[in-house]
Amino acid sequence: MLQINYDPATNPLNNNEWAFPLFECIHISMFAMSVGTIALVDFRLLGVALRKYSPAQLLKATSLWTLIGLVVVVTSGMVIATTDPLAYYYNGAFRYKMLMLLIAIVYNYTIHRRVAMSQAAPAVNIVVGGLSLAMWMSVVFLGIFYAFT
Amino acid sequence: MSPYYQIAQAVQDTSFFTAVRESALIYPIILSTHLSMIAIFGGLILLTDLRLLGVTLTGVPASDIVRWTRPLKWVGFLIMITCGILLGGAKLLTYYDNPYFILKLSLLGCVGIHALVFRKSVYWNPQALDDPKGPPRAAKVAACLSMVLWVAILSNGRWIAYWEGADPNASIRPVNVELVARLTNR
Repeated sequence: MLQINYDPATNPLNNNEWAFPLFECIHISMFAMSVGTIALVDFRLLGVALRKYSPAQLLKATSLWTLIGLVVVVTSGMVIATTDPLAYYYNGAFRYKMLMLLIAIVYNYTIHRRVAMSQAAPAVNIVVGGLSLAMWMSVVFLGIFYAFT
Repeated sequence: MSPYYQIAQAVQDTSFFTAVRESALIYPIILSTHLSMIAIFGGLILLTDLRLLGVTLTGVPASDIVRWTRPLKWVGFLIMITCGILLGGAKLLTYYDNPYFILKLSLLGCVGIHALVFRKSVYWNPQALDDPKGPPRAAKVAACLSMVLWVAILSNGRWIAYWEGADPNASIRPVNVELVARLTNR
């Protein structure tokens, strides 16, 4: 068992009734912003909506909001994790979440971005957009399953 | 015993909601879907609001954004509400007198009022939205109110879990006081 020289009971987040849920609210709002703006580009790639605009147009319009959302969601997530770091570290769902998150972020700024910015074939768009939606949904699902495992 | 308590008890005791509550897998799956829809649906609302404020996608007419995102928003909204009813119904006894739950439902009602109030002047008014001088003031007010309402709704949704009420065992997630007790005993 991993030992760390840190007592979570001293963490202000564990000693204030409002601090922990407040960080959760920030975390949820910001994943809504980041995942939501990415999903918008995905919907366009899937050809479901906003077909009048190119995926590139939508990506450019949303990328700043995605980035702000991602930065805040990761930061607030780290703060939340300090409330009981070992419990998170040893939770299977949490480990998969971190792995999926890393893959999803890398995918978002490499393949996803490249395809959205180019005029790829509809089949390629559908695969890339669908994969992106699935990855981000799995991150959300694993986040919830942390509390149930 | 209040009639509300009895209604809540009757609802959550139906075999359907009992099955939802007691399933190890279905319940978290519904909860995750509920949250995923917040993300996807929230992104569409955010984009619409930002366009109405003239912050992003200014190269595209605002009325197009409103019209083209509408069907998707409805799909997301319906999935989200369905999941919400399943989650709420399954544990109605711990929710019916929870102030955050009541506030959340009231705010959802406000979303309905918001849609009705701005229906004519903003959301179904492409001419005003596409004014060369930018969207009208009503559109900006509608956009700001929409963002405030949705952040308030999801915050209250989170806070539902932290209300202990009369029965301390009613909370679905350990509150931090319990966490601290557990940590100090470790």
